[in-house]
Amino acid sequence: MARVTEWWQASRKASSVWRLTRLYTVLLLSVVAVLLVVLYQLSIGQMSRQQQAQLESLIAQQTVLAEQLNTDEFIAQFKLQAESSRQYILTYQTEKQLIGRLSFIPEQISSCPRLTRFPIWLDKYDEIRLLSGCSQPLGAGSLTVAIDDEALYALKAQYISASVIALILALLLGLLTGLVFSLRVLKRINSFNQTAQLVEAGQLSARVALSNNNDEYDHMALHINTMLSQLEHSFETVSGITDAIAHDLRTPLSHLRQQIELELLDKRQQDQPTTQLQSMIEKLDEILFTFSAMLELTRLQQQKETKTQHFKIIDLSKIIIDAVDLIEPLAEEKEQIITSDVDLNITLKGDATLLFRAVYNLLENASKYAGEHARISIRLTESGFTISDNGLGISDNEKNKVFQRLYRIEKSRHVAGFGLGLTLVKAIVQLHNGQITLLDNNPGLQVMVEFPDTICCHNNVNKHTNSNGNNKEG
Amino acid sequence: MRILVIEDNQTTRQYLQKALQEQGYEVDLADNGQDGLFLALEGDHQLILLDRMLPKLDGLTVLSTLRNAGKQTPVLILSALDSVSERVKGLREGGDDYLIKPFALSELLIRIEILIQRKNQSSEKVTSSLQVSDLKMDLLSHKVYRGLNEIKLQPKEFKLLRYLMEHSGQVLSRSLLFEAVWDYQFDPQTNVIDVHLARLRKKVEFDGLPPLLETVRGTGYRMVASK
Repeated sequence: MARVTEWWQASRKASSVWRLTRLYTVLLLSVVAVLLVVLYQLSIGQMSRQQQAQLESLIAQQTVLAEQLNTDEFIAQFKLQAESSRQYILTYQTEKQLIGRLSFIPEQISSCPRLTRFPIWLDKYDEIRLLSGCSQPLGAGSLTVAIDDEALYALKAQYISASVIALILALLLGLLTGLVFSLRVLKRINSFNQTAQLVEAGQLSARVALSNNNDEYDHMALHINTMLSQLEHSFETVSGITDAIAHDLRTPLSHLRQQIELELLDKRQQDQPTTQLQSMIEKLDEILFTFSAMLELTRLQQQKETKTQHFKIIDLSKIIIDAVDLIEPLAEEKEQIITSDVDLNITLKGDATLLFRAVYNLLENASKYAGEHARISIRLTESGFTISDNGLGISDNEKNKVFQRLYRIEKSRHVAGFGLGLTLVKAIVQLHNGQITLLDNNPGLQVMVEFPDTICCHNNVNKHTNSNGNNKEG
Repeated sequence: MRILVIEDNQTTRQYLQKALQEQGYEVDLADNGQDGLFLALEGDHQLILLDRMLPKLDGLTVLSTLRNAGKQTPVLILSALDSVSERVKGLREGGDDYLIKPFALSELLIRIEILIQRKNQSSEKVTSSLQVSDLKMDLLSHKVYRGLNEIKLQPKEFKLLRYLMEHSGQVLSRSLLFEAVWDYQFDPQTNVIDVHLARLRKKVEFDGLPPLLETVRGTGYRMVASK
């Protein structure tokens, strides 16, 4: 049962399956309905039309007779006719008498050619039967014609119930085949979706699986796979080139730095001014730092398997406490308040230094961009942690871009930085199979980091709860 | 004081030679792993600066061979391999410190000094208290006094002050202080350590008491020498 409701919800969510199935079922039902109507018209419809026509010709015949004969002659022939007719029950009523097989005329009987059904006791069957009949004024009286069409009605009823059963079966068949068909289509499309999601998550080596059918889906899959291969190749080329540049330039720049340092040493010994050399070294260090950060990023983003080999069980609460301890005096300088909620005891497999850098980077960003007097809070959750501030936040269309290499938000360009911090954080989180999401804190920014394989223990009361800052000098 | 430099890159080798000689060290040079190992086994060096990627014999092999032969000369590994796992590998093989290229000369000199000092002090007894001038630190009760006034410190501040007092008289770089207190291997690259030091200084040097913590420009910090 649970599986059925699950399927139901899933199929309603995956709207295309539901829509396709519905469309298919409606088409099948209309085809069956049209067929049934046509069949009805050709069989039962035909019969009842014939019956109607015969009744009408009988009435016409009697009308002609009534015009040509005088009343007595007509009554005499009518008696004869009424006696002899097996199929039709004829009755003629004048003011004085009632001639024919009916012993009375039902009051609600309609005028011809419209037929009314009325119950009658028939000696022949020894039971009450329903007849269809009508009456019409004729000469001095009125003529009533009726026909025993109970068999036809029974046939009609049978036909209708058979049709209903046929339609229900068609509905079930339609839903079932439609569903099976759509689910198969959807399954293929889902494999495309999954691949696209993997690629979106940065796994450029993901490919769509091919079937043996060689159908249009396979053709599409082939094209997509080729496209992905080209994309992957150009990606590798780009990061390869930047890495090669960074790597090749790093060595000569390091040597340059060494030479400047030797020069600096000489100048210092001769008591000459060194400010110029000092600032040269600072500039060089900036370049070298950027290069190292870029190389490190690429390494983090590649070859995940070898990177995760040295992972150990890490206490996430300790890392957060350490990071808060490190950032706290910086925040205090800007009169920001940092609160931390690390009551949960969360562990995961990972690299402590990398995770520490991720947490510290996010806190540093919050402190850097949230402005003076901001409130920054970090909270452990069952699957990771959340950092919120009440600063300016990030607009929705920039939320994704901030993770790109060297991207800097327009309004923050004046703040020192290289635009690699969040990219590095994301790479670290992804290395731990985690996810990072930027949300609105209304006002401010909320960064949510979630890892899939955390181990959480609620009942373990954490001993470091009050190690966050805001202490005044003792 | 004799230092052995095993480094295949000529520019870096000459740079190290010149810089170290200017500091008053005698320097032996080797441009490949094999020669380096030979010199290290034969000579009596206070310290070895060891590159990781060397021709003939790579740095880690030189290191493990040296340790297996019973040579306990302090080894400072200099390497461009900057990931944490590479660093752990180097230290596990018996390296005493790991410095990532490119490095600042001041950082290198500070770390050399600390390694040589540590070697000389390694026979020293475990102490239960530290004292620099009128600043006292009780390592058992975790209490700190300046004269008669107790100074309340947070756990990280206590660690920081302890490291500074343990190395009083020595210049300590920001990254060294960060590694000692936080135990994560990277360089925060901002003035965050300075801010921590400023706060610690405010707590230690209150009421116009004579300063104990000196800022060494462009290099780091030094706690005045204990008498």
